[in-house]
This record gives sequence, structure tokens and C-alpha cells, in this order.
Amino acid sequence: MAAAESPSAALRRRDLCSRGIRLAGKMRADVVDLLDAYVEQQGLDASASVAAMEGVPLAAVERWDEQTGTQRLLENLAAYRAFRTLLAQMLEEQREQLGEADAGLGRALAAVLLQVSAFAYHLEELLRLESRGIPGEEGDGPPPPPRLSLFEQKLRGLGVLRELAQWAVRSVRDLRQLGKPSSAAGTAPGLAESP
Amino acid sequence: MYLSLFTEIMCSMFSRWNWVACGFYLVLNICSPDASGGLVQSCGHIIPESPVLALGSNFTALCILNESCLDFGNIYASQIIWKIKNKLVPKEQYREINRTVSSVTFNDTSSLATPLTCNILADGQIEQNIYGITVTVGLAPEKPKNLSCIVHQESVLTYVMNCTWNPGRHTFLDTQFRLRHSWPEEIFPDCIPKDVNNSCTITDIQFFVNTEIWVEATNALGKAESDPLVVDPIDIVKPLSPQNVSVSSGVLPTVLQLCWVNWISDAVMMLKFNIRYRIVGETNWMEVPSEDTASTRTSFIVQGLRPYTEYAFSIRCMKEDGVGYWSDWSEEKTGMTTEAQPSKGPPIWRIIDTSHSPAFWTVHLLWKALKPFEANGVILQYEVTIRDKSSPSSPVKKYNVTSTNHTLQLREGTYEVTLVARNSVGSSPPSVLLIPASNSKAPVKNLRTLPKHDKLWVGWTAPNSYVLKYVIEWCLVSSSSDCIIEWQIALGGVQGVDLKGPSKGPTVQTKKVGKAEAVLTWNHLTVEEQNGFIRNYTILYKTIDGNETVVTVDPSKTEYTLSSLTSDTLYTVRMMASTDNGSRTGPDFTFTTQKFGKGEIEAIVVPVCLAFLLIVLLGVLFCFNKRDLIKKHIWPIVPDPSKSNIAQWSPQVPAKHNFSSKDQTYPEGSFTDVSVVEIEADDKKSFSEQDLKPFDLLKKEKSTSEGHSSGIGGSSCMSSPRQSVSDSDEGDTTQNTSSTVQYSTVVLNGYRDQTPVQVFSRSESTQPLLDSEERSEDHAGGADSTAQRQQYFRQNGGQDETNTDRPCFERTKQITHANEGDLVGFVQLQISGQSSQPLGLGMEKNTQEAAVSNVLQTCTEGQTVRPETVEENPLSVDEMPKSYLPQTVRQGGYMPQ
Repeated sequence: MAAAESPSAALRRRDLCSRGIRLAGKMRADVVDLLDAYVEQQGLDASASVAAMEGVPLAAVERWDEQTGTQRLLENLAAYRAFRTLLAQMLEEQREQLGEADAGLGRALAAVLLQVSAFAYHLEELLRLESRGIPGEEGDGPPPPPRLSLFEQKLRGLGVLRELAQWAVRSVRDLRQLGKPSSAAGTAPGLAESP
Repeated sequence: MYLSLFTEIMCSMFSRWNWVACGFYLVLNICSPDASGGLVQSCGHIIPESPVLALGSNFTALCILNESCLDFGNIYASQIIWKIKNKLVPKEQYREINRTVSSVTFNDTSSLATPLTCNILADGQIEQNIYGITVTVGLAPEKPKNLSCIVHQESVLTYVMNCTWNPGRHTFLDTQFRLRHSWPEEIFPDCIPKDVNNSCTITDIQFFVNTEIWVEATNALGKAESDPLVVDPIDIVKPLSPQNVSVSSGVLPTVLQLCWVNWISDAVMMLKFNIRYRIVGETNWMEVPSEDTASTRTSFIVQGLRPYTEYAFSIRCMKEDGVGYWSDWSEEKTGMTTEAQPSKGPPIWRIIDTSHSPAFWTVHLLWKALKPFEANGVILQYEVTIRDKSSPSSPVKKYNVTSTNHTLQLREGTYEVTLVARNSVGSSPPSVLLIPASNSKAPVKNLRTLPKHDKLWVGWTAPNSYVLKYVIEWCLVSSSSDCIIEWQIALGGVQGVDLKGPSKGPTVQTKKVGKAEAVLTWNHLTVEEQNGFIRNYTILYKTIDGNETVVTVDPSKTEYTLSSLTSDTLYTVRMMASTDNGSRTGPDFTFTTQKFGKGEIEAIVVPVCLAFLLIVLLGVLFCFNKRDLIKKHIWPIVPDPSKSNIAQWSPQVPAKHNFSSKDQTYPEGSFTDVSVVEIEADDKKSFSEQDLKPFDLLKKEKSTSEGHSSGIGGSSCMSSPRQSVSDSDEGDTTQNTSSTVQYSTVVLNGYRDQTPVQVFSRSESTQPLLDSEERSEDHAGGADSTAQRQQYFRQNGGQDETNTDRPCFERTKQITHANEGDLVGFVQLQISGQSSQPLGLGMEKNTQEAAVSNVLQTCTEGQTVRPETVEENPLSVDEMPKSYLPQTVRQGGYMPQ
């Protein structure tokens, strides 16, 4: 079954997975650093709990180990696309609030945003390798968020970053699962046969 | 400019026309607005306007004449000539397209230059410019090649990517390079190089995504792109070297632990390392096997080191998988292994002296100090144990010794001597020496020696029986010293050994270098370096191209004078120490002999100076002898009729200081009583001891208060060179204030510093003295006192030369209002001598020495006293000014070179 994948495709897949794992690892490290800076700069309590917010994808999932590879990729892709939008919005709000006053935080946010974009690209490439259509972005994009107060914006930012850190951990596990030789067969049993 | 000129010439050209037509032409050409709204209208233009052309391509330009000019100027395209920078383009390249358009074609643009002008040959000969264009010739950019990038880590979180490329040939045009990079779905801002065209640094780097990087070169002739480089920036990282490296000694004496901090987080990349180390003082590095350091870590234990040895370490790192670049080596850190017990016992031997009595021995036990790698630490003491084998019951004797020998008095017998060396960790294995009652061993045969290189080889024939080791004893056979026995141990298997020569040669240097000789000095070698007794030293010296000269020197000396050297020549000298066992040469030393010998310059200069002085002296004597003759010729005495007074002429008055020459000059006796008095300005003898006393007092006062007058005095002196009679010294008042003056000055001043001959002629006139006369008299008196003071100052010697202008201050104090306050204080200070002089003022003296010299010349005009370099009063230590030069000069111990 696994023989259906050409050696170059397998190599490419492995490369994408390992690179994606490392990118997710670095992203998590950067997001954790950014969280500290964000909490301090926004004057928030680091231990404040933030309720689940609309539009922020949750990393926690039931029966994670039962998911297929494609399912993992699609969920990841959807989540990172959502984060891309959310982070871009945060960056915009950040600029509006502070202007150039805290360029360091802005730069860190932009760097994480870039990493999220890059990770989304990795996921798309992996989906392409599996001959899977890549879902359109517009349809899956979250609805425009309601106008929030300044404090709500801050809390929302905190929630986004926390959830992104969670997602980075989950993505590493997802990609490791995908990188396993057996998972290639498991992910798309029907795809290999399809001409 | 072209147009106005053109108009002017057109007017002269059409001179045969009437002036009205010309005026109309001018109006048309200059004042009529053209289509574009300008004030002037050209008679034509060139297409294309200011082109940029590829070098080597062909090019055609068209010159299009305006219809208006055809009407008035009778100008047609056939008259057009083309020029490149005032050089005519051959007519073969022209083509007349119609009556208003001419073209020119260049097959190779490399022949083009700026400007290219279209001109008209009006009236068959008058050439006038119609239009000109600027032509730029260059090349399209080449495709940039060899693009390569390195990501440099700048801090824990900052990475920048520097890319370099080959920009290709020079384009002769303004060519812009831009480094571009993108992700498949994201294009980043361009990196535009500053001041260079072959490198650029991107500061926004994201890892783990393949990034496409390429270079674009653009100029007016085109655009070229390099091949893209697709790389994940993480694969081209040059990390920072490990920081905060520390070395600590471990539990074992052969290990050292290294700790460091990695400046790159594990989330970014895992690292592998290279660790290198060397013994401090050595140059060769050893490296820890790379497989031992192939993973991320922050410490490592280096093993297999020598105890009690200082090592230097440095570390570098790179990405664990080997993709990327090694960091620089970290800075070196040193650490020392701990001591271990000595690894072997010291070699031991004995010399038995039985000269007093055969039954009682004086046993000299000798051993050699362990080498550092055997001692493994600092040897604190040696423990010598003597066991009498002939009487086992006798107690074992133990001695703790810190030197490397020990002398014992023993009864004849068989003894076992055991020696251990001890350091802070422990003891060495014992060295055992058996001293038999009688030597039963047969001596080795065929002992022979042979000089070999720097050593003396000793060979022998081994006996048949098993030999554990040999001991070779030797001593220096010399008439100057006793035979002091040296020894060396050789292992049993060998039949020859090289006796060690000196381990180093003496370091020679010059003590003094003259014209033909040089004094060389050196230090004795230490006992450890000698490895025996120095038999002699050999000095080898040579010029660069000359033969080497060899001199043998007695070993007791540490100095030798090389003679018969060539002057002004570079010599190389080295020195060899020789023992019986060999020789060793020390480092080369070079020196250059002097060009002139000691006293040679003086031998030339002194006679020349003496001869000069002699000539001057003779000249002065000659002038002195012939002064009357000179006077007669240069400044003859002209009788002043207004001063004649016949009524008071008194023939009875005897002629006092008559010179016969005057009588000869005026035989009629028109001057019946003319006396000439010569007063030497520097006549010290004319002052008695009594006269000098007040100055001595003053001198003492001044000793306590150093003259601090240089700056102020200098300027005030210069500003008022004249003084009034009433201002002169008190001691001179009787002389100077006299209203009836008997003398008028005939000759006042000497020339500059020459001793003036002041000649006074007696006059019967009752007229008041002219100012100059008063001054001269005052000066005569003042000068004397000044001379006197200056003499005092010179005697005093402790005063600096600035004091010599003091009389000037005193005389000028009333007329120099600007400095009055200062000067009054000054004079008080000098006279009372009660207040000590501030040290700071004394410093001015040095800087204003030149000014003082001038002042002296002004104030002591006509004096023979000249500014001299005057010795300072020695100051006490705490009085010393905090100044470098004066200190050294004053102390006289050291002159800065």
C-alpha cells in the first residue's frame, strides 16, 4: 500500500514533516516568549483565565489518536488560517493602540504571524502530496469579529496567543504521527488506489 | 546659447539684406513663442533625444529642420553636418531623407561620444549648430552569478542573512541591484545594497521554510536575474560561538571539566561541537574526537590530561547535522589539572670519599630533580632511607631532604639507599641504590668517546653478564677547577649514550657600541641549563656579507670587547656555550657600529670654533688699535658752532685726556679741552665688594623667592624700552639727577650685543641735555647696575634667567600702567623677599624663555650679558612641579631621549 507513494514524494513528505515539526517547535517557543511580553505590555494578569472565544480554534480534541492523517492536516490548516487572520487583526490593533511605541512587541507578533503563514503553507503542501484538494480560504475563514472594547481586545489577544501555543504542541504531535511510515498508508487508504 | 549665437551670425550672414528683414528675423526667432510655450524656437531637433545605447550596437539619429528656418535661412537638410564632440562625422554616414530631415548612422556605438550635434553649413562655409543630444553608451546588466548566503547569528534571538554575488561586468551605467526573497505565498521587501553592488544583508529571517532568494540587476538597457537559490535559512546558519566558557578541575588529576552557554536555543537548532586544547606555552592544538561532542550539550569532561599542567581550551559549534557553518572559535580559557603523585623515583647515584680513612666513608648521595611531567606537582621533599645490609639489626636511618643531594658518614659496609620524592598528593615509587662494601662488578670495556653534533657520545662494550643500568661519571678536566663529578644513568641494554650539552646558549647583547669596538655582555647559564661545566664561550660575529669571526672567551667572564670593527656597519653576533658534552648557540643579536668615534666630532668642531674665535678676537684687537682711524673715517667729529664759547675759553686748563690723534686732527686747537672717557658697560671690576653687598643680600632674598617675572616682565619690558632719568635706581640718582651735566655723549651704544664704547666729551654748555643724552647717561649708570645684577644673577646660579630682567621692571614700573599692579607686587616681592613664590608661576619660565631672551636684549642693551641656560635652584621633592620635562632636567638624572 505504501509502495503507491513514489520515493521522491515520500522524501518530500518526510522533509515537510520534519521541517514542520521544527517550525512548530520554534513557533511554540516564540509564542511563549511573546505571551510574556504581551501580558506585561498590556498590563494583564498572566494567570487570568480567558473563556473560549468565538473564532479562536481550540486545540483540544476528543479521540485525537483516532483521527486520520488527512483529517489532522485539514484541522490544522483551518486552525492556522484562522490564527493568521486573528494575528493580523491583533497586529493591526496593536499598531492602532501603541503606534510605534512598542515596536518590539509588534515585531514579535509579525514574526509569529509569518511562522503561522509558513506552517499553513507546509500543511497545504502536505495536503497536495496526498493529492487532496486544498479547501478554499474564504469559505472557511471566521466571520468578522464583533467590535470589541479595548479591554476585550486585550483579553482576546491573550486567548489567541495561549491557544496558538496549544496548537503548536498539538501540531508537533500531529506531524509526528503523519511522519510515521505506517501513517502514510493509514491517512489515505482510498487515495492510493484512486487513479 | 546656441540660439542667440545663431541669431547673431544669421544677421551678419544676411548682411546683404536690409536691416528690416534682419530685425524681423530676430523677432521671429527669439520672441515668437513656439508650440511648447517657450520664448525661443530652435531651427531643428534631433530624434531620439538623449538616448542610452548598448555598447557595440548600431545607432541612427535624425536631425529635423523646422520649416520656419527653411523660409528665412535658406537652409536644407543637404547642408546638415554631424559632429561628435567637435569632431566631424564622415559624410558617408549621412543620409538626406527629405529636404528637412538628415540622418546619421553609426555601426558601432563605441565610436560615439557626447554631445552629438546637428549643424548647418550655411552659405557654404559658415557652420552653425542647430541641436545637440547627450548620448550615453553602456551595457545591459549581466546575470548575477555565484549567489551565496550565510545567516549570521548576532545575538540570542537575532539572525541576519548576508548574501553575496558576482555582479558581472561593469555596465558603465547606473545599475541597481536588489536582493529579493520570497516564500511560495509571500514576497518580502527587497534588500537594496548600500554603496556596493555585490552584497546585501536581510534582517528579517524566518527559519524552517524554504526561501527563494535571487538577485535582480536593472539599468536603462535592461534587467537580469540570477538563478534562484532555494534554501531554508536554518541550513546556512553560522552560530555564535559558545559563550562563558569555564574550566574547572575534576576529581581526577587527568581531567578538566568545561562548561559553556549556547547562544542558540534548542528550538532553533541542535548543535554539535569541536573542542580543542593545548598545553599553555605550546602551539599545537589537540582536539577532542568529534564523535564525542556530536550532540547538543553545555559541558564536557576532557580526559587523558597530564597532572599539574595548565591547558587552554576553546570551543566552536555548528548545526548538529553538519549543514551550515562552524561558528568562530570561542575565546581561550585556561585551567589547570590537579597534582598527582610523582610517577617515578628520582635517578640516584653516590660518590664515596674514602680519603680520610678506608674504614669510614663520606658518602655523597646525588639525585636528579624529576622533570615536570614526572613530578606531577611541586616536590616538597625527598625522603632518603639508609639500610645497613651488613648488620640487619641496625636501625634504618631516615632523612628528609629538600635539596638534591645528601652527605653521610658511614662505616664501610653494604648499604641500601632508598629515595622517594614527595609532593602534596603522595610519594613517588622508590629509587633504590645498593652501595656494596666492595665493587664486585667488572668495569665496562672499550670506553670511548666521540664528539657528535653538539654532544659527546660515549660508547662501551657491554659485559657478558646482565646489566640493569649503567652509570657514566665524568668531570671537567681543567687547570682552573677541580674535577667535579657529573653523572648520568643509561639503561642496561645500550652500549653508548650521548652526554648532554648545554640546553641553551647564552643570550648576548651589547653594552656599548663605538666606532670600531663593541662591548658584549651576557649572563651565565643556570646550572640546569649548563648540563655540565662550561668549558668556554665562543663569540661568533660577522657582517651581513662578511665571514664569521670566532673568538673564544674564558667561561668566568660575562663581558667581552670586540675590537677592530668597521664603522657604521651592521654586525650579527651570537654566542655559544660549550661543555665537554657539547655546545649550544644562543639567539642572534645585531648591532650597528657608530659612524664617528668618541671625540671625533669634538676633534673637528672644537678647533673650528677656536679658530673662529681667534679670528674674531684678532679682528676686535685690530679694530681697537685702529679705532681712531676708523672713527675718523666713519664718524668724524664735526664741531658744533652753537656750542662754542670763546669767552670761557681757558688756555690754562690742562688737557686731561687728550689723545694725540685729536691734536693731529685739529691742530689749530678748535677744541681746547676735549676729554674722552671710555666706560665699559660690563666693567665688573669697577665695583668694589662693598658695592656688591646689597646685591648679595638681594640674592639671598631671591633665593627664597624665585623670579616669577618672566611673563609679565617680558611684555612690559618690550613695551617700554625707554625710561626716564627719574625712574632709575636710587643708587644712581645723584649721578643722574644732576642738573649740570658735564658730559655729552658722542658715542652711545655698541651695535647689538657688542660691547659699546661710550665716549663722553666734556662740554661747557649749560643747555639742558637732550633726551637721548639723559637717557644715555642714565643708561650708562643703569647699565652698570644692570651688569652688576646680571653678574650677581650669574653667580647666584640658582635663579632662573627670568630674574635678569628685573632691573628693567624696576625702571619701568612707573610708566607701565597697564601692568602696574602686577609690577608693584612684583617689586615688593623681590625686595622684601618675604613671600614665597607660587610654584605655578615658576612654570611660566620654560614656556617664555624666548620672550625672556628678547627682553634681556632690550633691557640690557649694550651689555655683554647674554641669556644663558641657567641652572635651576634644586627644589625639594614636594615643591617639584607636576611636569615631566622640568623634573627630569632639574634632577639631571635622566634626559628624555
